[in-house]
Amino acid sequence: MAQKTGFQPSVIYQDPKAAMRWLEAAFGFDVALYIEDDAGGFVHCQMRYGVALISVGQEWADDFKSPLKLGGKNTQLTSLTIDTDVDAHCERARAAGAVIVAEPDTQFYGDRVYRCRDLEGHHWSVGQTVEEVSRETAEERVPGLKITGWL
Amino acid sequence: MDVPPISPLLFYRDAKAALDFLERAFGFETRLLVDDGQGGVIHSESAFEGHVVMVCGPPAGKYASPLDLDGKRTGSVHVQVRAGLDAICERARAAGAMIEREPADQAYGDRVFTCLDPEGHSWSFGQSVQIMSADEMAKATGREIREKL
Repeated sequence: MAQKTGFQPSVIYQDPKAAMRWLEAAFGFDVALYIEDDAGGFVHCQMRYGVALISVGQEWADDFKSPLKLGGKNTQLTSLTIDTDVDAHCERARAAGAVIVAEPDTQFYGDRVYRCRDLEGHHWSVGQTVEEVSRETAEERVPGLKITGWL
Repeated sequence: MDVPPISPLLFYRDAKAALDFLERAFGFETRLLVDDGQGGVIHSESAFEGHVVMVCGPPAGKYASPLDLDGKRTGSVHVQVRAGLDAICERARAAGAMIEREPADQAYGDRVFTCLDPEGHSWSFGQSVQIMSADEMAKATGREIREKL
């Protein structure tokens, strides 16, 4: 199967099948590819949000763990940019049991963003661009910030 | 700003060293860096073929480098490339990446290698060498493969 180039985060769960259902209910991901073995055991899953792909992984080795096993710590976070109403997305996630860490708020760089924890404690950031902001404007808004590069 | 729809954000004790490593090892390019004024990185974007990973650190609160967790991690990053997979692997090795799986063709039609970066984040790189349908993939791997639940 040909995949689009780019980055694809893999997110590790203790119960990946429950995570698949949750990611669909809370965030609106669809299953793009799901592989199981003869006994119905989870092997591999990719989920899609528009053109974005993630892998839903299991704890397949001792050094790949759910935050549930690491005191809630995360070594990576997944950032999703959507082009629909981010406040509505947040309400859907909350209704599905997401713990909202930061309510939707418009950031100095022009995105409206909320952050939450999922059912196993992974952190997610979901944003929608609501304003085009230049680097100069961004630096003016946050004194003391030194920004290199801008797009 | 033109931001792709999904980006992993990785936490490092030394985010600037990590950005430098990603350039030397994988050929990524740091296109945005927001410095906290104390040597740390609040936000950055390391780009590859128009896609970005974000690098931050040092981490606090619920965020950690794998170095802080005895090498354990809560995810990994896959990078799908158009071409040059074996050359990327050699470049990464020369830059100090620990190659865990050497480049090899997989039953599902991709050539893949995996490695660890200096703080223990896990990376896999893949390049399609054969386009397969779900049915062909199922035959090749002996697994049941669905494109819907």
